[in-house]
Amino acid sequence: MSTPEVAARELTYGEAVREAIAEEMRRDPRVFLIGEDVAEAGHPFKVLTGLVQEFGTKRIIDTPISEPGYAGIGVGAAMTGMRPIVDVMFGDFITLAMDQIVNQAAKVHYMSGGKLKVPIVFRTTLGATRRSAAQHSQSLHAWVSHIPGLKVALPSGPYEAKGLMKTAIRDDSPVVIFEDKMMYRTKGPVPAEDYTIPFGVAEVKRAGTDITIVATSSMVGVALGAAKLLEEIGIGAEVIDPRTTYPLDKQAMIDSAKKTSRALVVDEGYERYGVTAEIASAIAEGAFYHLDAPVKRIGAMDVPVPFSPVLEDLTVPSERTVFETAKALCRKA
Amino acid sequence: MPTDVIMPALEMAQETGKVLKWLKAPGHAVRKGEPIVEIETDKVTVEIEAPASGVLRDVTARAGDVVPVGKTIALIFAPGEAGAAGPAAPVGPAAGGVPTGAVASPPPAAPAVKASPAGDGTAARLTAASPKARRLAAERGLDVSALRGSGPGGAVLAGDVVAAKVPVAEGVGTVWRIMAERMTASWTTAPHFYLVREVNVSRLVSWRERASKHTGARITYTDLLVKLVAATLSQHPGVNASWQDGAIVRNADINIGLAVAIDDGLVVPVLHRADTLRLVDIAARREDVVSRAQAGKLRAADIQGGGFTISNLGMYGVDAFTAIVNPPQAAILAVGRIADRVVAVNGQPVVQPTMMLTLSCDHRALDGARGAQFLGALAELIEEPLALLV
Repeated sequence: MSTPEVAARELTYGEAVREAIAEEMRRDPRVFLIGEDVAEAGHPFKVLTGLVQEFGTKRIIDTPISEPGYAGIGVGAAMTGMRPIVDVMFGDFITLAMDQIVNQAAKVHYMSGGKLKVPIVFRTTLGATRRSAAQHSQSLHAWVSHIPGLKVALPSGPYEAKGLMKTAIRDDSPVVIFEDKMMYRTKGPVPAEDYTIPFGVAEVKRAGTDITIVATSSMVGVALGAAKLLEEIGIGAEVIDPRTTYPLDKQAMIDSAKKTSRALVVDEGYERYGVTAEIASAIAEGAFYHLDAPVKRIGAMDVPVPFSPVLEDLTVPSERTVFETAKALCRKA
Repeated sequence: MPTDVIMPALEMAQETGKVLKWLKAPGHAVRKGEPIVEIETDKVTVEIEAPASGVLRDVTARAGDVVPVGKTIALIFAPGEAGAAGPAAPVGPAAGGVPTGAVASPPPAAPAVKASPAGDGTAARLTAASPKARRLAAERGLDVSALRGSGPGGAVLAGDVVAAKVPVAEGVGTVWRIMAERMTASWTTAPHFYLVREVNVSRLVSWRERASKHTGARITYTDLLVKLVAATLSQHPGVNASWQDGAIVRNADINIGLAVAIDDGLVVPVLHRADTLRLVDIAARREDVVSRAQAGKLRAADIQGGGFTISNLGMYGVDAFTAIVNPPQAAILAVGRIADRVVAVNGQPVVQPTMMLTLSCDHRALDGARGAQFLGALAELIEEPLALLV
């Protein structure tokens, strides 16, 4: 459930993902992985290196550039008893597989009256500042969080990357898991033994009394950095990682906001109609009579991500913007 | 026919009673004689018992409601009686049966809400304040619009409410509130006058010692005073009276109330027909009601029917004081401490134990002469209790 106090070893975020997939493939022969550049290439971010050597090309399947096609293969395989992991290299490309994800995977269990299950994992990425320009830098997890029938996980570190991936693979519903491509080399403690992280259970990453900062994915690290700066000026920030946007642990965030009476939501998706809006509204509704300030949110700037590094950096939430916003909410000059 | 549960009249002049708390919920079975509701009058809080066994239904008075005496506040249906089982007559269409979404007949449109003119609560809304600040202000009984706001545009924030200086209001209990109301009523309606007399209590002191030794009971000066006041009242019935609707009403019995300080305030339990009681009985009754008063376990009967009140502050070292008449009674006797005082006897200064008595009178029911005659007779009895025998 929570990060172990003493971890014997550290893994990178990418290694944690790979370990989760490898362990689940050893545990369950129905698990296979399909996508572009996943076998010999080991994925552009080298997350899958070595898997094809262990499991062979029948379980680590390279495809042409054909997201709608191989996503459909995955959905069909899941309906007929397999447990596929469909690799969508960049989160931006889920737009290509959207019919398979939204209209097929999310619906089949319901439209078959529960006779069919679609135990599929779409693993993909989010996150800007990699200088990859507007078509390879978006964080589109709000799109799928919007769809009934889908579960959406956003691991915020190596420990979460392994635990949430294992839960996703074992879940009988379609799960979309977004990994922040900027975190693959981030190191953190990861238990060697088997563990899972339940969906719909938020984690308090840091306790505080003055403001609740709800942050997702790599924004958890940003929020924790801002919390340190806030502490220096006497503001105690409580940082909460929902870990999944659906199911969403509203109660944990409401309870925290009731305690602190202020809330700030940080997420790297576009701010407009975004994940931050959903979470902020849940807090505003659930903690209304305990709030001493409007619930604020910070998402990515509502622009196509610029190629210019200077401009790109300005579009995403940073420790500084989170710090300044939180400070203003707490009425500290 | 179901049995009515009515708002009872616990006192003569009572017009309304307040429902404090239902001890049984509608639909629950009750047994005859079982307490079902707590009622507060302007004198006391009592539990009302079920007048019959059955199922409590049709509760029309909620906690906090003030209801005229005699009004039905609930019904008790006998077991098996129509209405005893099942819910009370349903209001509106029955729930269930009609699947959600299937609209057989459209629900009646909500009655159009008349646009309310500014004024009712709108003023408070004009003050910018955070939800938390509003909640905290309401909890503290503060008006947010009266607070200085430190938020954006002068909005009142929680911190402003917390920092606001509030007069520390100490919540008072029912007993205290009733005392306050009754004393105000007496002070503002009964024209008071006071008669003061210092009495020699040498005999009273020795009498108390002998009575205690003789009976083995703990006899107090208050007990002796009850006995002597009762005897004096029987000779001066005009003092055992009250002013009611333009007439002086004499009380049938001699019922003497004792002002008793308890944690919550002041209560006046009554020793009924004190003139018929022996000293030991007075002591026993007094001990019983005073200890129950202090434990908050007085019953309605304990405080009803008082015709005259004694208030003794001698144990607090008070020499003399003037009391406020306990309405609707005509008089109250305020008793000071017994102390050795220098008095003139036959032209010589002599030291004697004396006590200061102050009789407060309602001038509508008593005049100075009648009050003085009563006080004189009482003083003579105190100075020579033997007169009781004659």
